[in-house]
This record gives sequence, structure tokens and C-alpha cells, in this order.
Amino acid sequence: MTTAEPVAFGVAADAIAAEIDALGITHVICVPDTFQRTIIARWEAGTTPRLVKVCTEDEGVGVNAGLYMGGQNPMMCIQNNGIFASINTLKAIALDAKVPTLMMVGHFQRDVTKPIEEQGSRAVHMLEPTLDAWGIPYWRVEGPQDIGAFRAAYERSRADLGPAVIIIGAPTV
Amino acid sequence: MERQEAIDILAEGRGDAISVPTMQSVFPWHEAGQGDVLNVDASQCMGSASTLGLGLALARPDRKVMVLDGDGSLLMQLGSLVSIVESSPPNLYHFVFGNGLNQSTGNQPLPAQGVFDWVALAKAAGYKHAMRIAQAEDLIEQLPAIWALEGPVLIELEIAREEGPARWAGVPMAKQVASLKAQLAAS
Repeated sequence: MTTAEPVAFGVAADAIAAEIDALGITHVICVPDTFQRTIIARWEAGTTPRLVKVCTEDEGVGVNAGLYMGGQNPMMCIQNNGIFASINTLKAIALDAKVPTLMMVGHFQRDVTKPIEEQGSRAVHMLEPTLDAWGIPYWRVEGPQDIGAFRAAYERSRADLGPAVIIIGAPTV
Repeated sequence: MERQEAIDILAEGRGDAISVPTMQSVFPWHEAGQGDVLNVDASQCMGSASTLGLGLALARPDRKVMVLDGDGSLLMQLGSLVSIVESSPPNLYHFVFGNGLNQSTGNQPLPAQGVFDWVALAKAAGYKHAMRIAQAEDLIEQLPAIWALEGPVLIELEIAREEGPARWAGVPMAKQVASLKAQLAAS
């Protein structure tokens, strides 16, 4: 019997935290996600950026907008199902109202031994087509080599005054 | 009380609070001259007024934030009561215009109308204070004391049924977002 080898690898919470700190993020608005447990735990244990826990992704989009209007530099941390759950709010606030909305999105149910294109889970294989349908740019993080995605997505969200998604393809470590 | 009465009283007593109206409170709020300064309408995102207010309250603890919510709107993001309590901004004042109707879509009754209780829900969620005000004169009398309370505070306003088509201010939210951000940066 052979064991399938992973094609996606977890990024260290320390490395992600360093990227987020370098971007000057003040608040991370969070709905819990299985793939981002280690980075969420790190933020929960610290004070900067401030972790703002909310019940749903819809709420997160609103809080992100309020913080932005108030002069803060927020982002969100959610999972793929949260994108599907919050499309109306993303449409109205992030897209139509032109609010920079940077989202780390964990790929819940992603099989790390298979490329995205071969995933059986609808939550996984429908995420990118959904983002494409709404014109929301995204970056895959499939391992430590993709750490630059954080700055690229951040800069895009601020330049476009809109949403940008960082897809976390394997559980953070 | 009539919606217009509540709007006029809140406009008179607003001071320099940031305002976040939604749905059928937006048009009269603008007509009362409150739409251009320190204001953002929760437009095309029914249910989001409470969380826009939460974010603003966290960002600017030096200012009061007043949310002019609707009962039907708040039901769409009912969990925001708990999210607000999680952060418990002391400067958040959550006015809920309660008429028991989805007025914008034709006055359809809300689910469980007459059964659920906003004051009880807010208190159970952990709001610092929650109260119901039915008469305009009581709102006039109590508003100064409400502003002195530590938030989050929920104030349910009993609003009479209105007839006629829905009214909209029609100001693009993107324009308001940019304007409010600039106003707050300068203040």
C-alpha cells in the first residue's frame, strides 16, 4: 500500500503573523476555521493585531467596513463556506460600497494530497469559480513558498478598494 | 410613536454621534438633515447596520455611535447581538425601530411577531442595558439619560405601522464610506 504524498503544505503561524504584522493590520475579524487553528490561537493569545470574534461572516464584513471607515487597518479570517454564506454582504459592502476587504480563507475539506482541480468537496472546488463569478481576486497559499500572497492580496484590496482573498490550502502549523 | 417622531427626536439629540441608519429610517434621517455629516447608510445589505456600528465603535472609542436599526433587519443578523457583546463597546447605542413588519417589502409581519422580545434578547445576549420606549414624550425625556449609559445599549422604539410605498434616499454607499472615512480622519 502506498501513501499519497501531500501537494499542499502548511505555513507556520509565526510566518503568517510576521506577514500580517508587516502589513500593519490592526484587527483580525474572525469566524473560526479548521485550517487556520494555529494562527487563530496565536492571535487569541496576543494583543496585536486585536482579534475580533464574530458569529457569522456577514457580520465580519460589516465590522471590517466600520473599522476601515474609522481609520483602522482590518482584515478577516474565515473559511470557504463563509464566502458562500456572505455573498450578499460582500456584494453590497466590499464590492458596491468599495471597502477594502482582505480575507484569509481556509480551504475546509481540502484533501492536501490532491491539487485544487481534483478536489471532490464542493466547498473546495466551487470556491474559485464563485470568486471568479463575482470578480473577486484571489491568491493560493499552497505552502511556505507562497507567503508573498499576503502582501499581494493586501495591496490589491487597498488599491482596488474591494475584496481580495488569500486561500489557505493546507492547515497552518 | 410615529417613525417621524422618533427620527426628529434622535436628530435633535444626536450631538456629534456617528449614525448608521438602515432601511425605512434612511430616507427620513436624510430629510431631517442627518445624512451628510458622520453618517453611513446600511444600504443594500439588510442586517448589516449593527455590525457597521460595531466596527465604527471599536475604531473610534472617543465618539458615540448610534445605530438606527429595524426589527426585520436585525433579525437577519441576530447573532450580531452576541458579537457586539463579545467586544462590548461602551460607546454603542443600538436603537431598534420595532413595528413588527418588513415594511420595505410591503408590511409583511415578521416571524413570531408578538412573541419574541427585543429587550429580553438584548439582555440575554449580555447588553449592558436594554429598554423599550413606546411614546415620543418618553423618548424625549429619557434620551439624555440614555446617552449617559455605558454601552452597549439597546433601545427598542415601538413604531406605528405606516402605509405607502417604501422610500429610499438613493445615496450610493460608496460615496458615504469615502466621506465618513475622510470626516473621521479629520476629526
